[in-house]
Formats: sequence, C-alpha cells, structure tokens
Amino acid sequence: MAEMIRKSSVDEVVNHLILAGTCILLMITGYAFLFHVEIIGALFGGFNTMKTVHNWLGVAFILSLLYSLHHYLIDALEYDADDLQWFKVAGGYLSHKVKVPPMGKYNPGQKLYYLAVVVFGMTITISGFGLWFFQSNATVMLYSHLIHNISFCVFVIAVPVHIYLGTLANPGTFQIMVNGMMPLKDAQKKHPKWIKAIGKM
Amino acid sequence: MANDTTNKRKAILVTPENCIGCRACQVACKSWNQLDAIKTKNTGTYQNPPDLDADAFNIIKFIEVPSQMDPMRWLFLSRRCMHCGDAGCMTICPSPGALFRTPEGAVAFDHKKCIGCKLCSSACPFDVPRYGEDGKMSKCNLCADRMAASMTPSCVKTCPTGALKFGNRDELISAAQKEGFKTIYGEKDLDGLGTIFAFKDEPKLYGMLENPSIPTSVIFWHTYLKPLSLIGLGGVVAAAAIHYLAIGPHKEEEEKEEV
Ligand code: HEM
Ligand code: SF4
Ligand code: SF4
Repeated sequence: MAEMIRKSSVDEVVNHLILAGTCILLMITGYAFLFHVEIIGALFGGFNTMKTVHNWLGVAFILSLLYSLHHYLIDALEYDADDLQWFKVAGGYLSHKVKVPPMGKYNPGQKLYYLAVVVFGMTITISGFGLWFFQSNATVMLYSHLIHNISFCVFVIAVPVHIYLGTLANPGTFQIMVNGMMPLKDAQKKHPKWIKAIGKM
Repeated sequence: MANDTTNKRKAILVTPENCIGCRACQVACKSWNQLDAIKTKNTGTYQNPPDLDADAFNIIKFIEVPSQMDPMRWLFLSRRCMHCGDAGCMTICPSPGALFRTPEGAVAFDHKKCIGCKLCSSACPFDVPRYGEDGKMSKCNLCADRMAASMTPSCVKTCPTGALKFGNRDELISAAQKEGFKTIYGEKDLDGLGTIFAFKDEPKLYGMLENPSIPTSVIFWHTYLKPLSLIGLGGVVAAAAIHYLAIGPHKEEEEKEEV
C-alpha cells in the first residue's frame, strides 16, 4: 500500500462532519420554510418541530464553526505570490494544460471559501438569533429576515461548489473528509510547500 | 403572489359616520370566537381595550377631533384585520396553511399550523397580528366559519346602525359611492382591502395610513432572493455537470506530462 500522510487531524475530521451535517440540514429545512415544502416538514413531524430543530441546528453549526477557527483561520489569512498566480490559471480547473503553481496545505480558493463561510456563517447565525429572540421588535425582525436570506443565498451557492470540488472534481479528496489521510505521493504533487514545511520531501 | 382573490370576494364596509360607539361588535366577536376578557386600566379614554389583542380581534377606536366649527367631534372607527388582497402576512409566513385565503377572499389562520415565528406582524402594514400565551397568531378571520355557512360575520350581524355592512365587495363599494362618499379607503390599496371604509374626510383624520404597503425588504426578498436561492443552487449543479463532462476532473498524470 502506498504511504499515507495525515492531512486533517481526527479533531478536524469530526468537527468538519458536524459542520457539514448541520449546515446541510439547515439548508434543507431552510428551503422547506422558504417554499412551503410539506414533505420535508412531515419528515420532522410538522413545521412546529422543524422550527425547533432548525433553531438548535443553528446553535450546533455556529459552535462547530467557531471551533473550526483554530483549524483553518491562520492558513486562510495567508496569501503569497503563488496564490496570486493560482487565480490567474483559475486553479487549473478550466484547462488541464496550464501549469498550476506549487501550493501549500490549502489553495487560495479553499482559503477564500473558508473566510466566506466564516463571514456568512456569522451573519446567518446572528440574524437567526434575531429572528429567534427579538420577535417583538419589527425592525430587528425585518433586518434579520433580510440578512438571514441573503446569507442563505450565499450558502446554497458556495457549499455545492465546495462539495463538487471535494468529491467529483478531485478524485481521492473525499477520503480526507472521512479519515483525514491522503497518499504521500499525491500530497507531494498537490501540496509541495506544505510537504516541504513538514520535512517529508 | 399566492394571494388569489375570487370575484365572489366578500368585504366589510365600515362607515364611521353611522357608528355610535356602542361596541356591540366587540362583544359579539368575543362571544362567537370564545375570546377571554382582558383586564385593562382606565387611561382617560372610552377606547377599551386600548388596542387589538390576541383576545380582541376588533376594537372601536375613539378619536377626538375638536375644531372651531365642531368642538365636540368624535370619530368611532372599527379597527381589525384588513384582509388585504396582497397580504404581507401571507407572503412572509414560513409555515404552509398557517395563514390561508378563504373562498370569500378573507385571510384566515390555523392555530395548529402556526409555528409562532411572529414574522407576520413585521410584514403587516397595519400592525394587526397578535399572539396569545401559546405564542400563536390571532386576528380577525372575518368569521370564516360563519361565512362558510352563508352567515354574516358576528360583528356585522350585531351592529344596530349599519356602521358595519357585509356583502359582495364590488356592490358595497358602488353603493357607498352612490351615497356620496368620495373616498373609499382600501378600494385599490394592496390589491384591494377586504375591510373598506367610507370616509367623509381625509383618511389621515381617522388615523389611517395614507399609502399602506408591504415593507420593501419583504417585497425584495419575495421577488429576488427566493428565486435566487433556487436559480443559484440549480446553476451550480448545472455548471458542475458541464464542468465534469466538458473539462473533467483533476488528473495527476496529465499534469506530470506538462511539468
Ligand atoms: C457533504 C458535504 C461536504 C463534503 C463532501 C465536503 C468535503 C470536504 C473535503 C473533502 C474537504 C477537505 C479538502 C482538503 O483538505 O483539501 C473539506 C474541507 C472543508 N470543508 Fe467541507 N464538505 C462538505 C460540506 C461542508 C460544509 C457544509 C461546510 C461549511 C459550512 C464545509 C466547510 C469546510 C471547510 C471550512 C474545509 C477546510 C478546507 C477548505 O476550505 O476547503 N464543508 N470538505
Ligand atoms: S391587515 Fe395585516 S394581518 Fe390582515 S391581511 Fe393584511 S397583512 Fe395580513
Ligand atoms: S407567527 Fe404563525 S401565522 Fe405568523 S408568520 Fe409565523 S407561522 Fe405564519
């Protein structure tokens, strides 16, 4: 068997599962509220229970997102010249012929994705708490409703892109989400700067 | 919007000039809808209860408008849900069936389906929805149950002076116009209100909104954000499929040849 290297700690993998699971359930129940999808409501035993579930999923989601900060935030805030070049070749996603510059642990697309998830994860949660706890203040309710729905639009676009890139578009990557491991050889090609930094190349 | 109204649309016509402030309508409403009494404090006005409540679907507002010509002018105005043709409460409500349109065009509610999110009160131009101790919304439903049995709403049934009239909306409007009322408040606003008012003076004098409208953010959300959330998701799925077929997934081998 090929030599494997750990890309994500167990801690990271478990937290990502919670983050992804709560986020997807929140999006599904969100769509159900938005478009009155009675079948989804019925799965939760009615819209009353679904509202309670949606609210508490939001709590789990934000706790998991805050916990993820120590996994990704420092990486996500650092950009270098190779990252700039990465954008110029669109990460190699629009053509297999271009030369993709050497990457660290995460490419700048992933880093910006993470920052977007943090920013809109905060806005969607804060506005969610607005809708939950400020029901007698019409102004807070209306602003919260608007911000909650704008953030929702960002999530339903960004998350599926992320899922596609983490599965079909990059065969083998999905394994990282499950056990945190990837083949050392792949890592040397895809993340040379990270592998150099940890002295495996 | 999902707020279709039929041509059989019914309405209540309020004519404040005919109202004597007896509030039999308030009592009849409580009695038919089995609403509890509310303890209130006297604050120097006959208006009681002071505003709509989960246990008060309609109230008579006592409005004093003294002038030199008429130092003792008192207006009695029936306040209740307007049964808007384009109802903000129905547009924003996230729970299917909690608010619904009756065949007569009224906006009715189902306590069991309401999830108590209270969004409806923030989207109502007239500040009508109220919430009981269970957190569920309550308001006038034009006696939907009585209408379904071809009966008149209880408030109208009891009104001794004709200040409240019930009937086909079109007919009520033309009758009031023939009687010489220039302003029929609610004739056109929000696709026409189901509670309409025959006013002698400007609606402002009666404390009515001049141009009632659903909050801009709610309209923006309904017309742009809701479709965007579907188009966005669908667009990403389509783009991913096209990318997968036209360009294909990342391959290490190809890249190696390039290097
Ligand atoms: C079932 C759906 C999902 C799948 C299949 C998936 C897959 C993955 C995979 C394979 C990775 C590792 C990529 C790498 O280390 O190079 C990853 C990382 C990550 N995921 Fe997900 N994910 C999903 C849902 C989500 C959701 C809903 C969120 C956030 C709300 C999220 C946030 C993240 C973050 C912040 C990272 C860190 C690295 C990065 O920015 O790409 N994921 N995901
Ligand atoms: S007045 Fe308010 S509660 Fe009544 S139908 Fe109109 S928006 Fe809904
Ligand atoms: S409080 Fe009830 S009726 Fe009002 S918007 Fe929420 S679910 Fe609908």
